[in-house]
Amino acid sequence: MTDKDGEDRLRQMLLRPSRRQIISGMASLGVLSGAGVRHALAQGGPKRIVVPEGEFTPLPIAIPNFVPGTPADTDVAIGVTQVITNNLKRSGLFAPIDQAAYIEHITNIDTAPQFANWKTINAQALVTGRMTRQGDGRLKAEFRLWDVATGQQLTGQQYFTSPEYWRRIAHIISDQIYERLTGEKGYFDSRVVFVDESGSAQRRVKRLALMDQDGANVRYLTKGTDLVLTPRFSPSTQEITYMEFGQGDPRVYLLNIETGQREIVGNFPGMSFSPRFSPDGQRIIMSLQQGGNSNLFVMDLRSKSTTRLTDTPAIDTSPSYAPDGSRLCFESDRGGKPQIYVMPATGGAAQRISFGDGTYSTPVWSPRGDYIAFTKQGGGQFSIGIIKPDGSGERILTSGFHNEGPTFAPNGRVLMFFRDPGGNDGASLFTVDISGRNELKVPTPGFASDPAWSPLLS
Amino acid sequence: MKVDKTLVASVALHVLVIGWGLVSFSSKAFESIPEETLPVDIISSDQLAKVTAGMKTGKKDNPKPLVEKVAEAKPADDAVGKISEKPPVVTDTSPPPVPKVEDKPVEKKPDPPKPVAEAKPKEEPKPVEKKPDPAKIDPIAEAIKKDEKKPPPKQAQAAPPKPPKPKAERTFDESKIAALLDKRDPTRAALTGAELNSNAALGLAHGKAADNSATWGSMFKEQVERCWKKPYGGIESQNPEVAFEIKLKRDGTLEGSPVPEGTPGTPYLRVYQESALRAIIECQPYNLPAAFFDEWKYFAPVFTERKT
Repeated sequence: MTDKDGEDRLRQMLLRPSRRQIISGMASLGVLSGAGVRHALAQGGPKRIVVPEGEFTPLPIAIPNFVPGTPADTDVAIGVTQVITNNLKRSGLFAPIDQAAYIEHITNIDTAPQFANWKTINAQALVTGRMTRQGDGRLKAEFRLWDVATGQQLTGQQYFTSPEYWRRIAHIISDQIYERLTGEKGYFDSRVVFVDESGSAQRRVKRLALMDQDGANVRYLTKGTDLVLTPRFSPSTQEITYMEFGQGDPRVYLLNIETGQREIVGNFPGMSFSPRFSPDGQRIIMSLQQGGNSNLFVMDLRSKSTTRLTDTPAIDTSPSYAPDGSRLCFESDRGGKPQIYVMPATGGAAQRISFGDGTYSTPVWSPRGDYIAFTKQGGGQFSIGIIKPDGSGERILTSGFHNEGPTFAPNGRVLMFFRDPGGNDGASLFTVDISGRNELKVPTPGFASDPAWSPLLS
Repeated sequence: MKVDKTLVASVALHVLVIGWGLVSFSSKAFESIPEETLPVDIISSDQLAKVTAGMKTGKKDNPKPLVEKVAEAKPADDAVGKISEKPPVVTDTSPPPVPKVEDKPVEKKPDPPKPVAEAKPKEEPKPVEKKPDPAKIDPIAEAIKKDEKKPPPKQAQAAPPKPPKPKAERTFDESKIAALLDKRDPTRAALTGAELNSNAALGLAHGKAADNSATWGSMFKEQVERCWKKPYGGIESQNPEVAFEIKLKRDGTLEGSPVPEGTPGTPYLRVYQESALRAIIECQPYNLPAAFFDEWKYFAPVFTERKT
């Protein structure tokens, strides 16, 4: 870990000059907030005391149990509170305060709380809420987010839903709080598809499984009779494409997770693999085997027309679109060893962006567009890292015996990947912030690999 | 009264700075940028008083012990070192040989004179002719000389340090130290004006008015940083900067709500501004040096990640 920290610091140091250049460039364009500059130049204003960059600290937040609208709603109110608390805590950006420390007992969310009671326990934000079963059977969820220091309400919403979807409501409220307090979109109301692994190491059963991003509500999508690999979400969040070893060659399949309907994508001679949806969900890009080589093809799901994107005597695979659909990144060994290349989505000249020691594979473009995550193999270790699409700013986030298959959270701030400790134990899912901090294991019922994060559901 | 104020101010500042250092270093391992240290000058009048007072008492106390100690210490040196190993040193010194030469003839002379006096009084002019120099000394009373000259050689051996010391102390103290101190005063006065000021910034090119913000500013910084939960800005530097204008009361609490400068243009800047506002409000009252209240009663804290 210390090595990684040192490496991170080194990388940050190396990044600095380019940041400075960006800053100076932005400043010259007048993009940066002019207020500060103007005041600094102005004479006679109040003395300016600069409080420089402090270390990032998780925000202390108090989340007292939601108030049950009726006595029957007590369980769901506590459940929602726990889900929100867990979400915010796992994000690493919030430090929920233990409820045992609370001085005030919230009984009515329609009046302002006594903020002095929350200041005393050093809370900077306070969430109050209420869950009420309506006469028509629906569940009403209300919440308010308070700024303890100023006593102002930062946000407040109410939602109606079927009672069985109370967890989704909790995730949506979590996203609201996250967005209001960090300025970033949330990612809690999302799902993850992965390959569930059970049985012994010799006879491992692999099934497609679906769960909420926090590990709850696990559903199995296949029975485990055939080997499945590389599931990927559609932007609509309703469909999954994956590769399955059926009777003959491995094929790319399309599965509707609501209806369970399944179809083979295209009808190609030889193996088809490593599929992924285009950002508009209308096309699937994948690799097709041609002899000892493989090339990238894109298939339109409506017209079923197929377009070849690469034609090289090499293995081109693991394609992933940029969020705007204009470019794609993929892995190719055309230069001798597997490396990451970027090229226009319509094909054409590919530009190699990875030049470090070792080999790079499984590139995936961030939904924010700013980074490409990859698996890097070298020095006897598998690492998860990110790199900018122009090849700069490479950072290794975690290293170990076997880490592989990164996938971005919908807001591009968190990566999920799987880690295999070796031996008889199977793989597990982990999340890590793209800064490299806050590495957490994701609870799964058994061993799990090959995760793919869905877009936000709402 | 002026003396008291400056004394109190300097002591208070030292205590505050040291205390602040202890607290901050013990509570957190800050990686804060080292501030320019607080410029504290304890100026002339106090120091003058102390220095002069100390010298005066020093003189009076010193001579007595010096005399006694020197007397004891040097015979010890003579007995052990000089007699056995360092006769040349004694001979080298110019004053001692002369008295020795004088003493020996003088002592010897009385012996021969006695036989001479008993035998022939005519021989007395001969020694006078042979040694004209001692002859000059001879006229001085012999008995008195014996008594006086015997102590002088002892003193002469111990003396060389003695005479310079009293001379140096007495002469240098009164004239030179006073002169040095006198020189400092007029330059200070010329730079700072009629009143003595503990502000080192004064007299510099940029010095306009009393600026002790390096002192209370860093104190404010350290206090407000403890409450500041900076929102997570990701790994991409967004270089936020938000400023407020705040008014503080004498007890360190806010007189009113901090006034933000400008409106944030991005969600992150908004969040950043809110986090800073929370910190300012939550961390009051601020413990700042009362001496500089006029400076910190109204100022503009700037929260930034920009590295200047």
